[in-house]
Amino acid sequence: MSRKLKRSILFWLLLSPIVVVILFPYAVMTISALKSATEVLNPNWWPSELRWQNFPEMWQTSGIAEALANSLYVSALSTVLTILVSIPAAYALSRYQFAGRDLFRQFLLVSQMLSPIVLVIGLFRLVAGAGMIDSLNVLVVIYTAFNIAFCVWMLQSYFSTIPRDLEEAAWMEGASRWRTLIAVFLPLAVPAMVVTAIFTFINAWNEFVIALTMLRTEGTYTLPIRVFSLVAGRYTVDWHYVMAAAFVASVPVAILFAWLQRYLVRGLSIGAVK
Amino acid sequence: MQRATAPYILILPSFVLAAAIILWPLKEIVSLSLHDVNRFGMLRDFIGLEHFRVLFADPDFIAATWRTLVWTAAVVLGTLIVSVPIALILNEDFYGRGIARILIMLPWAISLTMTAIVWRWALNGESGMLNSALRGLGLINTNIQWLAEASTAFPMQILIGILVSVPFTVTIFLGGLSSVPDDLYEAAATEGAGSWDQFRLITLPLLRPFINIAFVLNTIYVFNSFPIIWATTQGGPANSTDILVTYLYKVGFRIGRLGEAAAVSLIMFAILLVFTIIYVRLAMREAKA
Repeated sequence: MSRKLKRSILFWLLLSPIVVVILFPYAVMTISALKSATEVLNPNWWPSELRWQNFPEMWQTSGIAEALANSLYVSALSTVLTILVSIPAAYALSRYQFAGRDLFRQFLLVSQMLSPIVLVIGLFRLVAGAGMIDSLNVLVVIYTAFNIAFCVWMLQSYFSTIPRDLEEAAWMEGASRWRTLIAVFLPLAVPAMVVTAIFTFINAWNEFVIALTMLRTEGTYTLPIRVFSLVAGRYTVDWHYVMAAAFVASVPVAILFAWLQRYLVRGLSIGAVK
Repeated sequence: MQRATAPYILILPSFVLAAAIILWPLKEIVSLSLHDVNRFGMLRDFIGLEHFRVLFADPDFIAATWRTLVWTAAVVLGTLIVSVPIALILNEDFYGRGIARILIMLPWAISLTMTAIVWRWALNGESGMLNSALRGLGLINTNIQWLAEASTAFPMQILIGILVSVPFTVTIFLGGLSSVPDDLYEAAATEGAGSWDQFRLITLPLLRPFINIAFVLNTIYVFNSFPIIWATTQGGPANSTDILVTYLYKVGFRIGRLGEAAAVSLIMFAILLVFTIIYVRLAMREAKA
């Protein structure tokens, strides 16, 4: 046996407990989603028949299509908005010395600390006072605001690794500061922007407490709230439909994420420690 | 663009947006916490620290505070302890490493709410597949009602908390490990250092800043984490799994005592602030040393 094969077997053995625990809920979800309404109440692992029709039935009755659209809208819009306001701020922090620079950084630190849940009472008053409860756009603005700190921080530590010489060379050749930014600087910063965008998107996609508080009618529910509403405060829960819904809500993101995760390791490591 | 004003113009949009969504609600919370408030959020008389006095006299609040500390410490330390060896393994070259990485990262992609709902079903006393799996392995004889009592529900919630915090933490560590130059190890090996010495003398010190950052970020995230407990037990049975965030939500939105809920928010803010200040001090001292 080659040395690498031996190591591989050893490493997989060491990892196996955590891998089992990670995969366990997926297995439960998948198997439960394929059981019939009566069989789902039996804690057997293998169903007697695979009920694929659970998926179309759930799709018809649970309103998950609408929730999927709402989640996509909120997550995509807040990602774009976050990146748009974070890039200039990060650029300012990495390229200029200015009075108030440290103050701004401390403000970002505090806003990172104050997650939405700590402020939920105040946010609710703010939104209710403006008569904007039940609006998806309110979620977009709130998610953007809470993601700014992390994004600016990640982007500025990445920006600081981009050598100034490149920009200075462009200025020497007569390019304006603006043109240099667009043609030289930003293309180099694409990896960092992709990583922060993935982060913001996942955060918005998964956010729970603000959506739970601000959304009141089923038509505006995002995915986590929609699936939660299938479980919470009900006397009987159709667990086979709930698991089918959870499957639909999780697996596409998991696949997308599996494809993108290698960018995260590099991006985070540069961002995490300046 | 004028050089002097340029940075301010650049930070303005982000500052205005973040300030509006953070400072304004903060101001609202301060004012709520100091006034008598009715159910509908109308401010009445100024009552000073009365809401805080009521909170500190409430055994549920005191219990939730202690439980929050246990929750945060257990999840954060558990996560760090589990993540270091995982990161070390994933940093090595072995067959199937790509798949292993994806598997370990998987919980990250799924919303906490979804994970918690699936676990709630898996932990169900009668129909839950955890019981049937453990029975099948011969580990238990009778079904355990996992979520019906705090003595089993809370530890399971902590385990779920660790599980979902591992991916982010491992990712930070992997980044840290990839920045360690290989020739350091080669040099150490020629000096006769064994693998434990290499880990203790090279890897660990170089990983330190990454462990610190993971510690601070995880502490903030876990302290504020709501969905796991809310979607599994909603703090029950009889408030026995409440942490401060779920207590806050109940007091604010179920019972409608907004003044007290605002006071809880401020207490949480104070705890986080003290923690952050301690961390910044320590980090600065370390940077000087």
